[in-house]
Amino acid sequence: MFWLQQIFNGITQGSIYALMAIGYSIILGIIGLVTFVHGEVIMIGAFAGFFMVTFLKANFFLAVLAGFAASWLLGIIIERVCYRPFRSGPREIALIATIGLSILLRSLSQVTFGTEQKLMPDLLNSHFIPLGQIRITNIQLLIIFTVFILALLLHQFFYKTKTGIALRAVSMNKQAAALLGVHVNRTILLGNALGCALGGVSGVLLGIYYNSVHPVMGASVAMKAFTATVFGGIGSIPGAALGGILLGIFENLGVAIFSSGYRDIISFSILILILLIRPQGILGRKELER
Amino acid sequence: MSKKRLILALTIIFSIAGSVLAAPAGTVKIGLSAPITGNLAEYGENFKYSVLMAADKINANGGIRGRKLVVDIQDSKGDPKEAALIAQKFVQDQEILATIGEFSSTSSLAAAPIYERYGLVQLSPTASHPDFAKAGQYMFGIIGTQDAEGPFNAKYIAKKYLKLKSVAAIYVNNDWGLVTKDRFIEAARGEGIKVTSQQPFFETEKDFNAVLTKIRATNPEGIFIAAMYNEAALICRQIKKLGWNVKLMAPSSVFSEKLLEIGGEAVEGLATNTFFALTDPDPKVQVYINEFRKRAGRNPNLHAASAYDSALLLAEAIRKAGFNRKAIRDQLAQTKNFPGITGKITFTPVGDVVRKYKILVVENGQWVVKKDYTQ
Repeated sequence: MFWLQQIFNGITQGSIYALMAIGYSIILGIIGLVTFVHGEVIMIGAFAGFFMVTFLKANFFLAVLAGFAASWLLGIIIERVCYRPFRSGPREIALIATIGLSILLRSLSQVTFGTEQKLMPDLLNSHFIPLGQIRITNIQLLIIFTVFILALLLHQFFYKTKTGIALRAVSMNKQAAALLGVHVNRTILLGNALGCALGGVSGVLLGIYYNSVHPVMGASVAMKAFTATVFGGIGSIPGAALGGILLGIFENLGVAIFSSGYRDIISFSILILILLIRPQGILGRKELER
Repeated sequence: MSKKRLILALTIIFSIAGSVLAAPAGTVKIGLSAPITGNLAEYGENFKYSVLMAADKINANGGIRGRKLVVDIQDSKGDPKEAALIAQKFVQDQEILATIGEFSSTSSLAAAPIYERYGLVQLSPTASHPDFAKAGQYMFGIIGTQDAEGPFNAKYIAKKYLKLKSVAAIYVNNDWGLVTKDRFIEAARGEGIKVTSQQPFFETEKDFNAVLTKIRATNPEGIFIAAMYNEAALICRQIKKLGWNVKLMAPSSVFSEKLLEIGGEAVEGLATNTFFALTDPDPKVQVYINEFRKRAGRNPNLHAASAYDSALLLAEAIRKAGFNRKAIRDQLAQTKNFPGITGKITFTPVGDVVRKYKILVVENGQWVVKKDYTQ
């Protein structure tokens, strides 16, 4: 019972990581660069959901939608500010631009939203669903369900629609995609906005699961998103999802076996191990260095 | 050549004039080092509101020895390295006569050697690590240390009030969390309470399900939550979501309106201690609470009240000792029965305060004083 409970908690936490990692993976693929502003994207999404719920008394679905929309917009801004002006310049410039924007956004939201941790009200009357010996809350189920549906939709989008295929093409090779008539600039903008929007949704889910939003909540979860992405395989969306869920499970089992003080040690040891043994990640494909 | 000399002469004149102008005779300056931005920003904000309120009050009553009190606020971002840099800055600024800070025990300890070396008072409103005041002659802490709070929590809250036979501890993994947990656990063992589990967590942690499930497996009657109110509220919520019926207790760091707001029903029954209560009938406490509410738009908590007392305490010491850093330290060390809004303050020889506590419990979403040991 103890272990099953821990694993189930891990899956819930992991599915939120998975959503963050999918978004991160899309951005990483389309931009070709690590982003440092993802934590703040998640935070802005969470606050959008928070304001929807607190001031407009919105339901779960609308809160998630608000998070999606707000972070989508932010994604467009990020692309315009951090990536487009420096596309032909050295890659470090864009990288540092994202660090700068992340600090700006974090401080700005502390000024505008206040520095305190905010309470995200319980959207659903949280109650248990007894399942044998383990206890599962309806919120946990809803989170897992939401992430699952989003992942399915994304899969359809990437493999069945023209835009999705264009996105994948640009991730693989920008020049070749352009030669074949893909509108590269627009596709990059779309890809970045989509990745950010998924981050926003995961922010709302985090807020709902832990009942709190905070202007500085982004930094630590963004690091987890990055770990899950590398773990699952850079550029692979199913890999990112798997990486997120496994990371969640490992963290919870790590706490159960060792001590909670070792939680981050476990996740980052996994990161280092993966980089050493299988740099392309679990489901990543081997690629030539660009 | 003569032009160069002229420039040199002008530079010298201006720099002398500048330094004279920068120190108008009518002011007296104290430093405030606090986490104004960063993860701990809301705690730093409490300091800022309270210290500025105290300064305004002092200035409205004619200042200190006829001089206006000015507060130089520096933002440490909650980072011990920054706190040490601010200490460097303060000790070199000869106008600064004494300082208030830092919020966390970790930052206060990091800055302590610098203040000590250059002989400038660091008075912390909140650092409760027993080693802080011992770190030097110039270190003062007024919140009381865990040496006193731990045994109180164990004897009066765990044993007498909650009647626990076994207890587990969850604590934030920093200087303060560790020592708070240690002092409580030692004392609890001394009272014959069985300790089933002790688990740390990291400061930015949001997910306590794993660690709580683990603690739950050891089946304690009560849980001691050594955390700030934000984390403590989340921990209580997650305990509730686990469907775990366990008695909750925590150190004084959880006493805040914010705990009730974030914790909701989940913090019902949580027992802690304090020496500052919003229901205190003392008129000067009520004046403070009303003024704080007006400025900050929320109720003050223990940290805020303690920062207010720190500022008044320093002002009093400067008034008596004059404008000299060493004299201020000596005066401060002699403080006896200073009537603060958090009770009477008397420094021990090492420079901390022995507090007397009230047991405070959450009942129907309100903080209620259960037993008063401050008399």
